Amino acid sequence: MKFFDCNASFGTPMVPPIRYADTAKELLKEMDHYGIAEALVYHVRQCDDSPVVGNSILFDEIEGIDRLHGTLAILPTQTGELGTIESIIDLMREKNIRALRAFPAEHKYSMSRTALGDLYDLMTERKIPLIINIGESSGVSGWHLVERMLSDVPDLTLIVTEQGCWGQDRLFRPLIERHANLYLDISRYELDGGISDFVGKYGADRLLFGTAFPEWNPGGPVLMLTHAEIANREREMIASGNLEGILGRVRL
Amino acid sequence: MNPSSLVREFMEKGRSESCRVIDMHGHLGPYQGIYFPNPSPEDMIRTMDRCGVRMIVSSSHAALIDTRENFKMADVVKRHPDRFRAYWVINPNYPLRIEEEIAQFPKIDGFIGFKFLSDYHRYPITGPRYEPALKYAEGHGLPILMHTWGHSPYDSPALVDELAKRYPRVVFLMGHSGYGEWERSIQVARDHPNVYLELTAAYAINGVIEKMVLGAGSRKILFGTDLPWFDPHYGIGCVLFSRITDDDRHNILHRNAESILKPFMSHG
Repeated sequence: MKFFDCNASFGTPMVPPIRYADTAKELLKEMDHYGIAEALVYHVRQCDDSPVVGNSILFDEIEGIDRLHGTLAILPTQTGELGTIESIIDLMREKNIRALRAFPAEHKYSMSRTALGDLYDLMTERKIPLIINIGESSGVSGWHLVERMLSDVPDLTLIVTEQGCWGQDRLFRPLIERHANLYLDISRYELDGGISDFVGKYGADRLLFGTAFPEWNPGGPVLMLTHAEIANREREMIASGNLEGILGRVRL
Repeated sequence: MNPSSLVREFMEKGRSESCRVIDMHGHLGPYQGIYFPNPSPEDMIRTMDRCGVRMIVSSSHAALIDTRENFKMADVVKRHPDRFRAYWVINPNYPLRIEEEIAQFPKIDGFIGFKFLSDYHRYPITGPRYEPALKYAEGHGLPILMHTWGHSPYDSPALVDELAKRYPRVVFLMGHSGYGEWERSIQVARDHPNVYLELTAAYAINGVIEKMVLGAGSRKILFGTDLPWFDPHYGIGCVLFSRITDDDRHNILHRNAESILKPFMSHG
C-alpha cells in the first residue's frame, strides 16, 4: 500500500521537538523508516519565520525531489509581501505548488473573507486546497474557526490537520455532514474504532493519511490505518488516493 | 523500511504470537467528553483480539466519578478472567468511604491495586487522604496506577518522587509518564526500582520512547492505551517504529507487565 503523507514538515525549528529532520534529505530517510512514499510538506521556517523567507527556503530544499510536494504559506495580499494574486499563481505554476497552508496565529492575520477574499477566490476557482492545523486560531479558534471559514467560503477545499486525540467527533461530524469539501488528516485520530465508524457513515473519501512529523510518531497512524477494519479499497483511498485526487483536480 | 521482525509481523498480521501485548492502562464504558464506538467489555475484547492484546487492566469511567461503581469491574473480570483485571479507584474527595473500601478490597476478586486520578479529583497524591490506600498497598506490595502530568500541582513527577521514597514496596505506575516533563519522569523511574513509566498518550510524542529507553531502560516502561479511548494499534505502532531493539519492544509491550501481574493471575 502506498502512503502519501498530507502533513509533514522539516527544517530547524525555533523550539526543537525531541526528533526532527533538518533537511529534505533527512526527511526522506525518516519516510523510508516508516515506508512512506511521498509527502506534502512545509518547511518550519514557513511557520516560524516570515512566509516570504520560508517559502523560498522550501522551494530550494525540495527542488528536484519527486517524493516531496511543496505547499505555499499564505498572507493577506493587502500588505503586498507575497506579491499580487497574479504573481502568486505564476509562482505556483513555476514551482508546481498545488496546496496552500495558513498559519494565522503565528503570522497574525484573520481567516475572514475580508482579509483573504482574493485568495479564497483563487482557491475556489482553481480548486486549490488549503491546509490548516486545528490548533491555529485567529480570534476564532479550532472547529469554530473551521465552521466560520466554510460558512464564508462554502466551495473551499479545506484540509484540517492534527485534530487531537481527546475525542473531537462531536465537534467535526456536523461540519463533515454540511461541507462536502472538508477533509481530515488521521495523524491524531486515535479513537478506537474511529476510522471504521467514520468510514461506515461518511465513506472513505474524507480522510487523509497524515503523520504530523516531526511532532508526532508516524508509526501510530501507519499501523492503525494498515489494520483499520475497512475495505482495502477504502484503506488505499485514505493512504494516498484521496490526496492524489485533490492535488490532481488543481488547475494551475 | 524498519528491519525489525516484530514490525514486519505486526504490519502483516496486526498481531504477534511471540509478543502478546498487555495493556496496563484501560478504562471501560462511556465518558463525558468523548464519543466511543467501542465502550463495552465485549467491544474492547474484539479490539484486543484484532490488535493482539492479551489482557487489559481497567478502571471503569463510572468509578472515576463515583467509587461505588468499582464493584461492577469485579463482574467484568469474573465474566472475562483471561482478558481483564481491574484497578480500584480511590476518590479522595470522599475520605469517609476510603477506609470502608479498603476493608472490602481483599474480599473482591479481580482487583490488582488502586487507581488515582488526582488531576481530575483535584487533590495531590501526597495528601493525607490517600494515605490509607498507600499504606495498604505498601503492606501488600500492590501496584497503583496514577494519572501523572508534567508540572501538575496534583500528580507531577516530583510528587511521585516523594511517594516512591515513602512507600518503597508500592509499585507506582506513572500513567502518561508525567506527560511533558519527560526528563524528570525518566529520572524518577531510573532512581526508584518501584516506579514505572506508563505510555498512554505519551507514545505519540516522536522520539520520547527512545529517550525513555535510553534514560530509564526498557525494563521500566509499560504499555497502555486508555482503551476504549485509543486504538491499540496506534500505540503499538509508536513502540514498534521507535529506534529500539526487539528485546526492548518485548519488555515494553508485555514482559514488564507480566512480571507485575504474576501474583494476580490466579484470580478470577
